[in-house]
Amino acid sequence: MSVLSKDSPGKKTLFMGNEAIARGAIEAGVQVCAAYPGNPSSEIIGSLSQVAGELGLYVEWSVNEKVALEVATAASFAGLRGLTAMKQNGLNVASDFLFNLNLSGSKGGLVVVVCDDPAALSSTNEEDSRPYAKMCDLPLLEPSTVQEAKDMTRWAFDLSEELGLPCLIRSVTRLSHARGNAELGRLPKNRPTPRFDTSRPIIPQPVMVTHKALHDKIKTCQERFEKSPFNLYRGPERPELLLVTCGPGWMYVLEALANLGVEDRAGIVKLGTTWPLPKSFLIQHLKKANRVLFIEEVDPFLENNIKEFCAERTAELGVKTFLGKASEDLPDTGEINPDIVTRAIQKVLRVSYEPRSSQYAQEAAEAASLFAPARELGFCAGCPHRATYWSLKNALAMDGRDGIVLGDIGCYTLGVRPAGFEQVKTCHAMGSGAGLANGFGQFERFGLDQPVLTVCGDSTFYHAAIPALVNARYNRSNFLMLILDNSATAMTGFQPHPGTGRTAMGPEAPVVDIEALCKSLGTKVQVKNPFDVQDTMDAIYQLLQDQEGVKVLVLRQECALVRAKRQKALYKVRVDQERCIGQACGCNRRCTRIFKCPGLAWDPATGKARIDEAICTGCGVCADICPQSAILKETV
Amino acid sequence: MKLDNCDLAEGRCFANCPRTQVNLEAIHQEVFGQTYCDIEIGLFKQVKMVRASSPDLRKKGQTSGVVSALLQFALREEFIHGAVLTHRTPDHLPRGRVIRHPDEILSCAGSSYVAGPTLQALNQGPWTDTERIGVVGTPCQVLAMRKMRVSPLKKTNLMDRVTLIIGLFCTWALTYEPFMKYLKARVNGASIRKLDITPPPERLLKVITSDGHTWDVPIDEIRPFIRKTCGICLDMTSELSDLSVGTVEGIEGWNTVITRSDLGEEILSRAEAAGIIESRPLPEENFKHLKEASLLKKRRAVSTLKERGELEGGYIILSHELIGRILSEAKEAES
Repeated sequence: MSVLSKDSPGKKTLFMGNEAIARGAIEAGVQVCAAYPGNPSSEIIGSLSQVAGELGLYVEWSVNEKVALEVATAASFAGLRGLTAMKQNGLNVASDFLFNLNLSGSKGGLVVVVCDDPAALSSTNEEDSRPYAKMCDLPLLEPSTVQEAKDMTRWAFDLSEELGLPCLIRSVTRLSHARGNAELGRLPKNRPTPRFDTSRPIIPQPVMVTHKALHDKIKTCQERFEKSPFNLYRGPERPELLLVTCGPGWMYVLEALANLGVEDRAGIVKLGTTWPLPKSFLIQHLKKANRVLFIEEVDPFLENNIKEFCAERTAELGVKTFLGKASEDLPDTGEINPDIVTRAIQKVLRVSYEPRSSQYAQEAAEAASLFAPARELGFCAGCPHRATYWSLKNALAMDGRDGIVLGDIGCYTLGVRPAGFEQVKTCHAMGSGAGLANGFGQFERFGLDQPVLTVCGDSTFYHAAIPALVNARYNRSNFLMLILDNSATAMTGFQPHPGTGRTAMGPEAPVVDIEALCKSLGTKVQVKNPFDVQDTMDAIYQLLQDQEGVKVLVLRQECALVRAKRQKALYKVRVDQERCIGQACGCNRRCTRIFKCPGLAWDPATGKARIDEAICTGCGVCADICPQSAILKETV
Repeated sequence: MKLDNCDLAEGRCFANCPRTQVNLEAIHQEVFGQTYCDIEIGLFKQVKMVRASSPDLRKKGQTSGVVSALLQFALREEFIHGAVLTHRTPDHLPRGRVIRHPDEILSCAGSSYVAGPTLQALNQGPWTDTERIGVVGTPCQVLAMRKMRVSPLKKTNLMDRVTLIIGLFCTWALTYEPFMKYLKARVNGASIRKLDITPPPERLLKVITSDGHTWDVPIDEIRPFIRKTCGICLDMTSELSDLSVGTVEGIEGWNTVITRSDLGEEILSRAEAAGIIESRPLPEENFKHLKEASLLKKRRAVSTLKERGELEGGYIILSHELIGRILSEAKEAES
């Protein structure tokens, strides 16, 4: 039984941070949950989808974050409670709707969870989503612990309903993916029936009125936050240093003070409600010390806003020394951790303590290298993207016009690295490869003589590339779009999408046919199997010679990880040890040095290639790249 | 064309490439057991005019169907078990193809005058250990195979099993992409069925489109698409093959066939005896023209190499005496 549906009030239960957020939503009586997957947020909807049937929820993987927010908002407009979750980039996609929704307001509790990825561990950018709350005048909560993640989410629905505004919750990787105990609350018994009151349209107009109303709402919100139990002060009455923190910074600060043994010298202001600022609460505690050190992840959000607030109230608060990212006591990019926080406090309080050698990271890397070989980021064994990029590389070389490959977001982003033979030259937002191709595809008129290509995954295609394709057709842009259809949203954990034939809740769904859709736009469409390297290379080459308009080549082959769960290997692959002549070949280890599938290994003992049978998925592609035909594939 | 980054100074690509250094003397010793001395059309046993006996083959082949007829015969009589030929995609992109049945031969008939990766198919096979292989190729492809045979690298190639090489006459080859782009525009986008370059004095590229129309393109129009590397090639008549096949100036429907090896001689005579092909002596005038044309190609290549300062220790290793003869005799022929 999932911890999400356990009906044992008061029981302490181990949750992943994202599961705790999901459980908080369930305890609040959420009925509609929608999201587009994105690390580190994906487990919220992922875990909700597993209990949807049991608890009578509607849970969907939406085509993109904007649609997801709109689906959840529909619940709110109908008087139900709705939740959406996304990564930081997702909020950018959803923001157009959000910047109108703040004015129109919501009805049923509506919660928008944004999981930021400090240090961009699995993102293309490092973005702090919190300024959105300030820009939109929306309440923002930042949990510090797994218990808070659950409790804040539950409360966020009440707050949202009271204010008539969506409520933002900001998590970060180290909370979303951390595990900790949380005490279970009650599961709701009654759920409302949806109804839209057609006599009262929900619109942002008249804007001058709704904008003013929004400011009034956020004032009310501030009053609620002044008394929120999620904000607290811990420390002596007259500390030498005041630490202001939120999110996982709270735990790091506790650990740092304990390590340094300075709990009696520093006080901690821990904020759970970070926008609007609980000003009275802050005044009360900012008076305690003249030096303030801000501990937060990514941007100086609290740091700048509290400084601004202090400037307004200098007469009352006196002159402060502010420390943090601006003073370079904390790094202004990347994650923070107990070591970083310890060093910052140590420096300010002049305590001698060595949390860990400053050379630790380097020494650890060196020590690890003694036992683990250095590894480049790469595609999985049998990944169709490797085969695709191989064919693409060869086709572009044959074409000889220095073709430009514009990339997009997905596993295939690795096309910028050696794993994809460094074929991809740009990578920005979802669908941006196709968008950029639209521009490049118009530049022949100015003398651009390089062919233009873009690569786009199947999930990315549905998410954001379709409008770009429509634009290309309409404006007669000239480029080749390769849709790398591995029938999965692979990078975020195999969530279903409109091409997979399944929904988040499991039942079979109609497949949105990519080639039919492209054909309906009037684009030329071909479908190939990237495991047929020659055929794929020919198709790419031939399509590059077609200089008229937008062309789509769907390269369809299931993700190796999905295929491995479903069926046995396509081929039994082996290296004929007679035919492989190792370094004497002159191919310069094409299989293991360039193609580099993890299923291929170089055996230093024999000086020849071999198949690592534990890893090989039997795709058979390497048989086609060996110039000596020493790699043999046998149908199984 | 560079496909991948490579840090090998001299790998197999380098050793086997027909445009890296060639020791013609060493290759002739290895292939024919003779010294390279005939600077006109290379070592040969006889030169004849030949054509396929079958009217069907004559119609479907490029000129006289003789290559198709000989290959079918070689396969049927098990001189070879498979042949590596060049076929063209619908867009005339040349590609190697392994043929094991005589009926498949015609799928590769015809020329596109574009350099192609035929030998890739040879290398990839797949072949069993006992199969004998025939290859039809251009002079550079034949040279590559002979270089593989004398390769200083570990003997790891299929050359022991390539028993029959039919070489084609070649003055130059074209670069695919700009040539096709030009040609498509030249025939107003019509689908191209066949390409044929007529011998002097006409020297026209005849483009036959699917609608039956024939377009005459003067050779000068396609010269810009000639591969640069063809400018240093010394070989017009595939001098290192078993049998060399080319057109006959001024006599339509017949090919010039140069017999060079014992095997080439055996196949040709047995095929003729079996009524597969028919032959006539090559008129003396044609033979003279052939030798002159071949010498001219050599002279152009040697002159180009000389201009580039690459004659000494460069592309070809050849005695000063032979180089001198190429330059002087070709000059005479020209005058």
